[in-house]
Amino acid sequence: MNYQELASKLLHTAERVQKHAHKLEGDTINKSAVRLAADVDRFEEILSGFLASRKSGELFLETLLRSPAAKKYVTLELLRKALRETCSKRLKSEELGGAKREFIEAVHASERAEPAVKYLKHAFAEAAYVPPAGKDKAALQHEFLQLGRLSDEDYATTIAKRTFGELRRLAGTNGIRFTDKTTKPHLIKSIRRYARRLAANLPT
Amino acid sequence: MSTKVLAFINFKGGVGKTACAVNIAATLAKLHEKKVLVVDLDPQSNSSLWLMRPDQWREHVAKGRRSTFEIFDDAIQGKERFNFAESVVKGVVTWTGFVEVPQLHLLPASVELLKVEDRIHELRAPTVYRILERALKDHLGAYDYVFFDCPPNLYSTTKNAIFLSDSCIVPYIPDYLSLSGFQVLAEYIAELRGKYTDSAGDRRHPNVGGVIVSHYRQTGNVFRLAINELEIMLAELRTHGILETNVSLLQPFIRHCVRVAESTSEHLPVVLYAPGCIGAQDYSDLTQNFLTHFHHKR
Repeated sequence: MNYQELASKLLHTAERVQKHAHKLEGDTINKSAVRLAADVDRFEEILSGFLASRKSGELFLETLLRSPAAKKYVTLELLRKALRETCSKRLKSEELGGAKREFIEAVHASERAEPAVKYLKHAFAEAAYVPPAGKDKAALQHEFLQLGRLSDEDYATTIAKRTFGELRRLAGTNGIRFTDKTTKPHLIKSIRRYARRLAANLPT
Repeated sequence: MSTKVLAFINFKGGVGKTACAVNIAATLAKLHEKKVLVVDLDPQSNSSLWLMRPDQWREHVAKGRRSTFEIFDDAIQGKERFNFAESVVKGVVTWTGFVEVPQLHLLPASVELLKVEDRIHELRAPTVYRILERALKDHLGAYDYVFFDCPPNLYSTTKNAIFLSDSCIVPYIPDYLSLSGFQVLAEYIAELRGKYTDSAGDRRHPNVGGVIVSHYRQTGNVFRLAINELEIMLAELRTHGILETNVSLLQPFIRHCVRVAESTSEHLPVVLYAPGCIGAQDYSDLTQNFLTHFHHKR
C-alpha cells in the first residue's frame, strides 16, 4: 500500500458512511466506529507533527543524514562547516547525535534545506571519489607484465639492475605484500613468481 | 530527460550482477532522487525476488503475464499483450505493507523466460535483437537510469539488452576464472558492436563502460594480486582496441557482507535494510562514483 492508496481507501469509506449515515446503528458498528475515530485522531496527530516539521528538502536532508555515506563521512567538523557555510550559524553540540539534530533544526529555522542538502551531497561525493591511479602505476604494472614474460636468465639479468627501493615499489604497486623484514632476494623471488603467473594468465 | 541505459552482464554466474543492479538502482533512487527502472531478464528472477515478496511476485507474474517474458512471447507469437503500465512495479513494499522508494521501478521476470531461447530462433535475425527495444523504447525516456539485469549467458535476451544499452557494466569476482572469462566477454561485445552498427546504422555502440568488483576481501594479498591482474588485463585490452579508453574499474570494491545476503530474504535493497553495514557503505560510495563516471566526468 502507498499513501495514495490509503487516501482512496479513506475517501471510499467516508463516502459510504456519509451516504448511509442515517441508517447506521447497533452495538457492533458503533463500537467499531468509535475505535476507528480514535485511530483517525491518533493518525491525524502524527500526520500534523510530520507535516509541520518537515518540508520535502528537510525530509531528504534527514534521509541523507541517516544514509550509509553519513555513517561513514559525517563528523562534527563537517556539520560545523556545513552549518557555517549554508546558514551562517555556529553548531553548539559536542556530540554527533545531538549535532545532527541541532543541524536539522537550524536548517529548518533558516529555511536553508536545499543548500544544506547540496553541501552534504558534495561532501559525500568528494569523500567517496578515488582519483585515477596515474601513469606511474600503469608503467609499473606494464613493467611487471614484461618481467613475467622474460626467461629465467633474462629475468635474473634485468632484476639485478634494480635497487631494493625500486623492487619494493614494483612489488607494492602490483599487489605483492612485504614487510620491513622482507629481504631483497625474497622480494625478487616473489616478483618472479607473481609476474610469471600474470604473464601465463593473460593471453598474449 | 537524458536516460542512461546500462546492461549488467557477465556470462559467469554468481559474480554479483543482480546485487549490483538492485543496490545501485535503489541507492540512486533513495539517496540521489533519480528515477530508475530495473528490467529483470533472468529466468531465475533474482532481482524481482529481491525487490518483491514471493507471494506478491507470484501473483504479479502468474503464467508469465506482466513480466519480461511476455515481451519475448509476444514477439514469438506475433501478439501484443504486453502492457508496460500494468507490468511495472513501483517502489518496494516494506514489512509494514507500505511502499518505499517510489522512484525505483521494476519490470519483473518470470521463470517462463527459460522457454524463450528454445523458440526465439523462429524469428529473423535483425528482429531478434530488437524485441526489447520495440517494447520499451516509448517508456525509457521517463527514467534517469534503466538497468538490465541479464542472465549469466550471452544468448538472445542478453543480446537484446546489449543492443538497447548505452554501455555494459561487468560485475566481476577477483579470481582467475573471472579473469579468463572477461577477455572473452570483452571480445564478444566488441564483435557485437560491429554487427549492431551494421544492422542499425550507427545508433548504438555497445561497449564495456565499467567493471565492478564484488565479493572482495582484504585479507592477505590474494585479492590485491587478482585485482592487479584485472587492471593489467584492462590496460592490455584498451591497447588492442577491444575496450574503449574510458573503461574504468569502478571503486570501491564491494566487500563481502552478510547483511547484503540477508537483505535478499527481507526483499529489500541493503540501503533500506541495513544502511549502516559495510555492504551498504560500499554500494553508497560505488553509486556516487558511478554517477561521477557516467555523468560528471572529472
